Amino acid sequence: MILTGLALLLLVLLGAPLFAVIAASTLLAFARTDADLTVVIIEIYRLAEMPVLLAIPLFTFAGYLLAESRAPQRLVRITNALLGWLPGGLAAVVLVVCALFTAFTGASGITIVALGALLYPALKQAGYPERFSLGLITTSGSIGLLFAPSLPLILYSVVAQQLNIGQPVAISALFIAGILPGILIIVLLAIWGLWQQRSHEIPQAPFSAREALAAVRDAAWELPLPIIVLGGIYSGYFAVSEAAAVTALYVLIVEVFIHREIRLPDLPGVMRESMVLVGAILIVLSMSLASTNYLLDAEVPAQLFAYIREHVQDKYGFLLLLTLFLLVLGMMLDIFSALVIMVPLMLPIAIGYGIHPVHFGIIFLATMEIGYLLPPVGMNLFIASYRFNRPVLEIFRAVLPFIAILIFAVLIITYWPWLSLGLLPH
Amino acid sequence: MPTRHLPPALARLIRIVTWIENGLLITLLALMVSLAGAQILLRNLFDLSILDVDQLLRLLVLWVALLGAVAASREGKHIRVDVLSRWLPARVRAGAQALTDIFTIGVCLLLAWQAVRFIRAEAGVNAFGAVPGWAAELILPAAFALIALRYSLLLAHHLRQSLGREDIP
Repeated sequence: MILTGLALLLLVLLGAPLFAVIAASTLLAFARTDADLTVVIIEIYRLAEMPVLLAIPLFTFAGYLLAESRAPQRLVRITNALLGWLPGGLAAVVLVVCALFTAFTGASGITIVALGALLYPALKQAGYPERFSLGLITTSGSIGLLFAPSLPLILYSVVAQQLNIGQPVAISALFIAGILPGILIIVLLAIWGLWQQRSHEIPQAPFSAREALAAVRDAAWELPLPIIVLGGIYSGYFAVSEAAAVTALYVLIVEVFIHREIRLPDLPGVMRESMVLVGAILIVLSMSLASTNYLLDAEVPAQLFAYIREHVQDKYGFLLLLTLFLLVLGMMLDIFSALVIMVPLMLPIAIGYGIHPVHFGIIFLATMEIGYLLPPVGMNLFIASYRFNRPVLEIFRAVLPFIAILIFAVLIITYWPWLSLGLLPH
Repeated sequence: MPTRHLPPALARLIRIVTWIENGLLITLLALMVSLAGAQILLRNLFDLSILDVDQLLRLLVLWVALLGAVAASREGKHIRVDVLSRWLPARVRAGAQALTDIFTIGVCLLLAWQAVRFIRAEAGVNAFGAVPGWAAELILPAAFALIALRYSLLLAHHLRQSLGREDIP
């Protein structure tokens, strides 16, 4: 058993697709208990039995459409017109734009690709130091995954609901819980951006009402989008999957038929591209549904909890351990695999220590956000290195101060549960 | 995925399969977006909810997800942890990839076989409405077989690369 475990681990490290490794370990585990192996297929088929999953392809499709159109340019223009005149304004613009964009495109690294080429020259032109600019853009690539309707938030809720933990973990609750921690991260990073200006002479553009008005008019079709999505979900008028359907249809009509920035012949390509990401995520999810089923049957989380309980007495010690563990995990696994593999193991333990499942989700995602910036696999490092044609090590040096700020933010989020839970209806 | 080393008949067959996969994926996504939109209109304008549409939408998620996974196999875009292989010499890396390809093919074939058994066991049961179970579940063995096919093609490349018979990009 240890040998097969090691063999599977080696296969993971050599780059075998995760879904195949999880499938193999689950098949082996079930085979050892003499269960009928079709149980794995039954679990995979459950992809067709969870209504909320519908939101994932629809939001992802909408996000890819937005990324392919000129919506990023319009978003930059309007944010710049509204915030650019403030001290440290451009850095704040980058953060806000990237956060919004990431929330809609599912934190898949697409933000750096779509916005980096726009924002990086702007930062340098405005007189920000090169290293800061690189670091800011690279970090911003994953900022915003705590805001609705980001894919990791949806996925966490889906996974948590499989665990029969006795407390509901509604997507709408997570969407609300992410707001303040998400804002905290942006504000802390914006302060760091302001600090950069202390010694550099960075000229500020004055506020122009005319430009603001023109920018608003330019983005008139996209502006209702956050209101439709967030307003619809937060008010309870739309279920999450309905909000996703409205978003997909609305974006499709606006970008293809009104702005005409995506030509009709290009549409099938965008559709396929977006579903490649959806397929890659959902197949890992489907395999982990099967492995979670096995883990719960074998009472693995309960045994783990009993073991950890012997060594760590209180909640605060556990939370510290958790943060450290998630940081190391974030170096190895991308956020989607980490979610579907680790949450089933760790959430029951966290609940054993009296941590609210929604709070746990926010801690998990906020910490994994840092993982995007850590070698050896941090996705943002490699995308930025590729996009800006710099060595990975140089990018890593540039993000170091940002990592420190994010860790500080995660500690606040971890030890101040109110930040995540305060806005939830009781 | 380059098919230039394959016999022409096989290369053409694979192009046809690819075309069908893409066509089906795009059609089903278009259907999903329209049905989901129509459902909301019906609910809000006529206070009407069609149960079968809800179930069809959920089934479409499974189909689109698995077809997307097939497309991801084609482009090597599956989620994986790329810690070790990045640092290996090119030909050793190709050899390691061949090893993981064989593993993936084996797992997918096993899953495809279990999916066939699953469909047989469920024979005669309707998925919903008048849709027979096998029609809804057909994508399970099909997708895993197609993923195995894609990894077999990758395997051929990785083997050639590790033997030095093909340039490594």
